[in-house]
Amino acid sequence: MPAKPITLGSLHFERRGDAIAFLKAILARYDLGDRVNADDAVFLRAALENHPDSANKIGCGITDFSVRSADYGTRCFWVNRSDGTTEKFSITASIRG
Amino acid sequence: MSLAGLQSWLLQEGVRCDLDTITQLTVRNELDNLASDTSVQSSASIDWPRLLLAGSILARSDKRVDQEAALRVATAAISLTDDQALKDAGAVLMGKLSNFRAITLATDRELVEADLNARLGIALRLEAQRREMDRSILVQSSGAWLQVNDFQQRFWTNATGDNWLSASAPTASGKTFLVLQWLIDQVVAGESRVVVYLAPTRALVSEIETNLKELLGNTELVEVSSLPLTDKYKAARAGGARVILVFTQERLHLLANVLGDVLSVDLLIVDEAHKIGDNQRGVILQDAIERATRANPKLKAVFISPATQNPEELLSDAPDGVQTIAVDSDSSTVLQNLIVATQVPRKSKLWALTLRQQGSELPIGVLQLASTPAGLKKRLAFIAAAVGERGGTLVYANGAGEAEEVADLISQLLPKLEPIDLELSQLAELARKGVHQHFRLAPLVELGVAFHYGNMPSLLRLEIERLFRSGKIRFLVCTSTLIEGVNLSCRTIVVRGPRKGKGHPMEPHDFWNLAGRAGRWGDEFQGNIICIDPEDKQAWPAGVPGRARYPIKRESDAVLDLGDGMADYLSNRGLSDFSSIEDKDKFEQVGAYLLTTFMRLGSISAASLAKRHDAASIAKLDQALGVLAEQIEISVDLAARHPGVNAIGLQHLLEAFRAYPGDVENLLPAEVASNDSYDRFITIMGRVNEHLFLAFTPGTRIKLYALIVVKWLKGYSLARIIRDSIDWHQEAGRSFNLPELIRGTMELVEQIARFRAPKYLSAYMDVLYLHLREIGREDLIDDGLDIGTQLEFGVSSTTLLSLMELGLSRMSAVALYEKIARDDLSREGCIAWVYERAGQLHAMDIPAIIIREVRERLALPDEPAK
Repeated sequence: MPAKPITLGSLHFERRGDAIAFLKAILARYDLGDRVNADDAVFLRAALENHPDSANKIGCGITDFSVRSADYGTRCFWVNRSDGTTEKFSITASIRG
Repeated sequence: MSLAGLQSWLLQEGVRCDLDTITQLTVRNELDNLASDTSVQSSASIDWPRLLLAGSILARSDKRVDQEAALRVATAAISLTDDQALKDAGAVLMGKLSNFRAITLATDRELVEADLNARLGIALRLEAQRREMDRSILVQSSGAWLQVNDFQQRFWTNATGDNWLSASAPTASGKTFLVLQWLIDQVVAGESRVVVYLAPTRALVSEIETNLKELLGNTELVEVSSLPLTDKYKAARAGGARVILVFTQERLHLLANVLGDVLSVDLLIVDEAHKIGDNQRGVILQDAIERATRANPKLKAVFISPATQNPEELLSDAPDGVQTIAVDSDSSTVLQNLIVATQVPRKSKLWALTLRQQGSELPIGVLQLASTPAGLKKRLAFIAAAVGERGGTLVYANGAGEAEEVADLISQLLPKLEPIDLELSQLAELARKGVHQHFRLAPLVELGVAFHYGNMPSLLRLEIERLFRSGKIRFLVCTSTLIEGVNLSCRTIVVRGPRKGKGHPMEPHDFWNLAGRAGRWGDEFQGNIICIDPEDKQAWPAGVPGRARYPIKRESDAVLDLGDGMADYLSNRGLSDFSSIEDKDKFEQVGAYLLTTFMRLGSISAASLAKRHDAASIAKLDQALGVLAEQIEISVDLAARHPGVNAIGLQHLLEAFRAYPGDVENLLPAEVASNDSYDRFITIMGRVNEHLFLAFTPGTRIKLYALIVVKWLKGYSLARIIRDSIDWHQEAGRSFNLPELIRGTMELVEQIARFRAPKYLSAYMDVLYLHLREIGREDLIDDGLDIGTQLEFGVSSTTLLSLMELGLSRMSAVALYEKIARDDLSREGCIAWVYERAGQLHAMDIPAIIIREVRERLALPDEPAK
């Protein structure tokens, strides 16, 4: 299957794997509990809109993003919604092939 | 023959035989479940007039053994004879020993008929009256005369004026009672506007605070508080109500940090002052005393310690020109019987009891146990249950887990109490609702048995202690917490192979700090110390210790006396990776103190401690400190705000902040209500470990530590934190042991959330604020309640803080807060909320003991009887 190009905000990736690596690199720059800055949030917002379950994940609207712990000692991005709720989401799931 | 010669002869030969007989008889009367013994002589053979004369001669001696013998004679005359004239003579002899409380006790128990003086001849009556006058002190604040013993009188006389005083006396000498009376006198009738009473543990802080409030009654002239908040201090300084602040050393530093340079204490009382030698916290205490003295060189300091060898040591740092005086007493107010228990060969239920006296042993009798004591815990439990059946019995266990098990064993030997006493069932209710439905303490207290250890919530512990004092709890199994600063005495203490902390055999002075609690002056004539298996080398590696007094040695001096260890530690401490340095716990706190002192003075040779160490080692330290100080930009003021936290660590943290590439907002803790809070604390604790000090170890537990800190700050109750932990274990399919989980949670709250986290996180915040000011981001600085105080009290909402400001324990404050909707209530708002619901508190399922505390602290009218 040919690689499918992905667009995240202003950035264009030839392969799905490149987009995933890009987002993982962002994740690695943050510590647990950090709020993601506005520049990086643009890409996360784009990724989340691309998520197969995007309507539910976005819910009432995105305020910002955090990096927090997830199951089994892993770290991931969490979306913070305007109603105070929050939910984690996976990078690989949001970048559909 | 000189008087001293006569006294010595009387004791060794003159009345030795009669003394042994009355000793045997009076000690036997103290112990339960002894086999009858025909070999014991009756008191009929005793020549009482001769013995009483000998007693009155011995009473004139200053030597402890002579005084004890005189007290033994007096006690025996009162309790063993039926002849009123002999009983009266015994009471007169107690008067000669200035032991007025013992006379009152004898009269209350109807051993001596009331109105003793009326039955005395004129000469004796005049003498007795003169003695009572000589031994009385005038309490200025109330106008009342107090009858006191020799130690109390010397304390009172010497405490006047501006001098520094260090007083040392055994546990049952009426020290605390008198010091509190004196303190109130200073505040009500004297010049002291701001008094700080330092006590080394939170438990003792609560106890002293409660005692002071009771003694003061309803006065608006004096405020008592244990919270490091500035309003009461400022009001007192401005001419309003005077204030007595009861603090741990850490809390004094918290208040000083908020007040900055203006802290001015008129009178500083340091209780359990020998704790200046404690590992890790001793130097914090020393620093607190020095800090208060620097802020007000005219401060008057009074140190109090149990039987110590060298109370004058505490006075060596008094400012130049200040007079100092040590008041020392070794005399006992109650008889203390040191008894060893050895199994009768091949009879596991029979134990021979022998009294140990100076250089001699006296057989007392044979104790009969109800069951065979298989195993060491059963041995301890069964002997305690038998020998101390009538109550007031304290059992020493090595560790909290063992204390619970021994208490459980004792309870099984006791009859069920029907109906259960109301106060005991209220305590059980508090244990069930405040900790957990199945907390082991609850069913035990219903039987009159309890256990007691350091990490328990203070409300629970104070109630256990109160009911033990009142006699409703007959057996109390405790741990080394008791020698860490809890004022508790007992009738009988039972102990086997005591250890201090985790596994170290007790030094003689620690053992006697514990054993010295046997004997409640004014409640009993005698106290008993039962030592099991005295010949067992594992239990007692150096045998049962002889009487010893505590040597006072500052932690800082003790560490410096270790040789070059400190200089080596300091040389390595500046390395960026300090994780491999050994003995961090031993050296870090004192190292921090030395570095701050060096930064202040330019050399520690100018500090007071230099006079206690040789010049060569001071010079070596100076050199190592100089190398560190050159790397430090942190100001000495900032370093001094965080005693025990090393300035080089603060510097490394500052450098890490400067090098941080991300958004600085991420360096701040997130609001506890925020979803980021828990994860942010994980990162911050990791940062503290990496740059400041390895405070949160092992690193694998940081997540757990962060979780506890967040829940604590959110104002969760202990019961809820425990419940959450159980739920987590069950959901994750992890097995757990409930008693261990409960103890573990209590330990996390006390040791992490209330001790390590406030210490290191408040330092973290201070350095971060410095960095924010450097980069022009003052907008991120929050000038609300600092994180150290929030953590110490487990509060982040205004309502919860207001409730604690009203004097409620955290347990009570949280119980109310769970029912209060608003999180922004002031003190007045909280009072109004409670008043509106004064009649409904019971219906809200709030434990009765908490309601009682709320009523007392908020001065609510009593609920109408149903």
